[in-house]
Amino acid sequence: MVNPSLLIGVPLALAFSIPLFGLISKKIEKYIPIAALLINVVISLTLIPQVLKKPVVVFIGGWNPPFCINLVVGPLGIFLAILISGIGLLVSIYAVSYIKEEPTEKYHILFLLLMVGAIGIVLTGDIFNLFVFFEILCISSYALVAYNKDKEGTEAAMKYLIQGSIGSSFILIGIALLYGGFGTLNMAHIASKITSADPTFLFITLAFFITGFGIEAAIFPLNAWLPDAHSSAPSSISAILSCIAIKTGVYGVARMIFTMFNAGSILTFIAFLGLLTLLIGEMSAFRQDDIKRLLAYSSIGQIGLIVFALGIATSLGVFGALFQIVSHALAKALLFLAAGYMIYRVGSKSITSLNGIGKKMPLTSFAFAIGSFSLIGLPPFAGFISKFSIIYAAIQVKKPIFLAFIAVALIATVIEAGYFFRIVQNLYFKEGKKLEKVTETSGFILIPLIILTISIIAIGIHPQFITGLLKEAANELLERAGYIGWVLGGT
Amino acid sequence: MNLIYNWMYYIASGGLILIGLYIVLVKTNLIKIIIGLHFVNTGVNILLICIGYIRGRTAPIFSKPGINPTNVVDPVPQALVLTAIVIGVAVLALALSIVIKVYEHNKTLNVSRIKGLKW
Amino acid sequence: MRRIISITVLGIIAVGFILTFSQIPFGKDKIDVANYYIKKGIEETGAVNIVTSVVLNYRGFDTLGEVTVLFIAAVGLGVVLFVEKKVQKNVSNDKDKSKRASLILRTGSHLLFPLILLFGAYVFVHGHLTPGGGFQGGAVIASGFLLMYLAFPRQSIDKKSFSVVESLGGLIFVGIGLLGLVFSGYFLTNFLPKGIPNTVFSAGIIPIIYIAVGLKIGFELTAIIDDLLGRSR
Repeated sequence: MVNPSLLIGVPLALAFSIPLFGLISKKIEKYIPIAALLINVVISLTLIPQVLKKPVVVFIGGWNPPFCINLVVGPLGIFLAILISGIGLLVSIYAVSYIKEEPTEKYHILFLLLMVGAIGIVLTGDIFNLFVFFEILCISSYALVAYNKDKEGTEAAMKYLIQGSIGSSFILIGIALLYGGFGTLNMAHIASKITSADPTFLFITLAFFITGFGIEAAIFPLNAWLPDAHSSAPSSISAILSCIAIKTGVYGVARMIFTMFNAGSILTFIAFLGLLTLLIGEMSAFRQDDIKRLLAYSSIGQIGLIVFALGIATSLGVFGALFQIVSHALAKALLFLAAGYMIYRVGSKSITSLNGIGKKMPLTSFAFAIGSFSLIGLPPFAGFISKFSIIYAAIQVKKPIFLAFIAVALIATVIEAGYFFRIVQNLYFKEGKKLEKVTETSGFILIPLIILTISIIAIGIHPQFITGLLKEAANELLERAGYIGWVLGGT
Repeated sequence: MNLIYNWMYYIASGGLILIGLYIVLVKTNLIKIIIGLHFVNTGVNILLICIGYIRGRTAPIFSKPGINPTNVVDPVPQALVLTAIVIGVAVLALALSIVIKVYEHNKTLNVSRIKGLKW
Repeated sequence: MRRIISITVLGIIAVGFILTFSQIPFGKDKIDVANYYIKKGIEETGAVNIVTSVVLNYRGFDTLGEVTVLFIAAVGLGVVLFVEKKVQKNVSNDKDKSKRASLILRTGSHLLFPLILLFGAYVFVHGHLTPGGGFQGGAVIASGFLLMYLAFPRQSIDKKSFSVVESLGGLIFVGIGLLGLVFSGYFLTNFLPKGIPNTVFSAGIIPIIYIAVGLKIGFELTAIIDDLLGRSR
C-alpha cells in the first residue's frame, strides 16, 4: 500500500525543483505540474479500495497521536483529494498553451503549490496543520490573482488579500482559544474532549472559526472579494479558485461544525445563511454583462446551495452537498475554461461581444452549453442528481420552515436558468460582428474541455461511479465517534 | 490591582487585535490598512504566547544543570508562534508588492478612489 | 456611518474576547501534550532545546509548510514586480547619477558583513542547543545583505544562483522527509543517530535541516529585498 504522505510530499518536491529544471531547459517547466498531479491522481485511485475498508491514518514522524501530526485519509479526504488532483490536472493541461504572459515558470510553481495546499487541507488531522496549509493555499492564490499585473488584477488581489488575511487571523484566534481550553491541537483529541467545556466558550470559538473559514468560502456577508478576484484572474486560475479554493473553505466549516464541535443547534442558522447566499448570488448574476463576473456570482450562489445542503445535516442532505460539490466543480471548470478561451479569441469580456461564436468555435460553445445545462440541473447531466437529492432531503426534514427554504431555492434555480439560457441563445442564435479572426481552439485546450464534458455526461447518466464513495464520505462527516476511534482508538 | 496583574497580557493582546481591526475597517490609506493587518497578526501572536506561559518558570532549554522538567514553560505555543510570525511576514511582503503595483496603475493610495471594478 | 458599524462590530468582538479569555487562566499548568514533550524530549530527539525538537521533530510538517509559505512569498514577489528585460536596461542607464553612500557606511559594511554572516551561521548551526534556529539565522543573514545594499546601491546579487540555493534548500528538507519514509516507513522520522545531548553533532537530522533552512531563508529574504529595491533602480 502506498503511503498517503506521498500525496503531499511528491508534488512539494517537484514544485521546489521547477527552478532547477528551468536551468536545464525552459520548455520542461510547463509539464511538471501535469506530471505531479498525474502521480497524485494515480496514487489516490489506488488508495480507494483500502480506504473504503478502513481509513488510513498516517503518523508523520512515527510518534503516537496525539503527540504527532497525523493525516486522516478517510472516504471524505480521498474523495476530495481525487477531485482536487483531477481538476488540477485538467487545468494544468489547459495552462500549457493558455498562459503566455511572463514569467511563466513562476506561474507553474505557484499553481502546483496551490494544489499542495488544497490537498493538505483535506487530508490533515491536526488543526494547526490545517491553518498552515490553508495559508499556503491563500497566499498562492493572492499572488496568482495578480498574475496579469493589470489594473483590475492588482486591485482585485488587494481586496482579496486584505479580507483573506483578516480571515486567517480569526482562524488563528480560534486555534489559540482551543489550545488554551484543551491543551492539544489534534482534531480527534479535541473532539473527544469537547463535551467537558463551557457552552459559551465553545460558541464564541466556533463563531471565530466560521467567520475565518467563511471568508474563504464566500458565505453571505463575507463574500465581497469574490466577484472581483474571480473575474480579474487569468481564466485557468478563476477555474481553480471557483472549483477548489472555495470548496476547501466549505470543508473547513463542515469539519468544525460536524466533527469537532458537534454543534447541532446552529445548523438551521447555517442553512439560512446558505440560502441567503444562494439568492443574492443568483440575483446579482442576472444583472451582469461581463461573463466572468457572471460566472463568479454564480459560484457564490452554488456555494450557498452547498452550505444549505450541509445545514440539512441528514445523511441524504450531506450526500447531496458532496454531489453538488462534484457537479459544480466539473461544470464551473468547464465554463471558465471555455469562456476564457472565447474571451482570448474575441478580445473582450462582455456577453454581447460573444454573439454568434457558436458557428466559429463549435466545440467550445458546445462545451459551454453542456456546462451551463448541468449547472442549472437539467436531467441527463450531473447537476440534476445533486439538486434533486438536496431538494428531496429538504422535503424529508418535515419542518415548515424548510418548505419555505425549498421554495426560495427553486426560485433561484429559475433565475439561474434565465441568464444561462440567455447566454447560450447569444452564442448560437444571434449574429456577431467582427469575428473574422476567431478560429477553433488548439489541442492542449480542447483536451480538458472534452474530458470534462464526457465526465459530466457520464456521471449524469450513471452516477454509480461515485455514489458509493460519497455515501461513505457523508457518513464520515456525520459520525464523529467513528472519526475519533480511527485516530485515537486504533493505534 | 490584582485583576489587572492577572489579565494584563490578555488585555494587551486583545487590545492590539481590536486596534488593528479598527484601522482595517475605518482608515482609507492603503499603507495604513496594511499596518493594521500587521497589528492584528502581532496581537494574535502575543495571545498565543500568553497562553503558554506558566508562572515562575523559565525557558525550555536544558543546557544548564538547574533546569529540570518541572521548571519550564510550555514549548508548543512557541513553536506555533514561530510559524505564525513567518506566515505574517510572507503576507506582509506580498501585500506591499501588490500596493506598489496598485500605486503604479492608479497614482493614488486612497481606497475610496480606487474603484475600477464596479458592482 | 462606517465608523458606527465598525465600532459596533468591534464591540461585539470585544465582548467575545472577554467571555473567552476569562475561561483560560493565566499562568497555570497545561495538560498532557506539553508535559510529554518536556519529559521525553531529550531522550527521544536528542536536542537540548525543546522548542527546536517540537518545531522540527514532533511538528516538523508544520515547519515544512512554513518554509513553503516563504518560498511562495518570494516567488509571488517575483511575479508581481516582474519587469521586462528591455524596460530594465532603459531605466538603469538614466540613474547613474545617484549619490554614493557615506564613507562610514562603506567602510563599516566591509568590516561588518562577514561578521554578520558568521553570526547568522552560528545561530542556525546551534539551533538545537541555544535559542535560535533556521528562521532566526536566515533573517540575520538577510540583514547582512541589506547592509551591503544600503552601502553600495548600484550593485546587486546574482538572482539565478540565489534561486538555485533556495530550491536546493527546500528540496533537501523534503528529501530528508522522503528518506525517512524509505528508511522507517514514516515521513520525516529521525533516522540518524541521536548522539550525546548538548554537543553540536547530536539530534540526528535536526542540524542538517536547520542548516538547509537557514541558508534558504537567508537567500530568500535577500531576493525579496532585491525585488523591492529593483523598482527604484
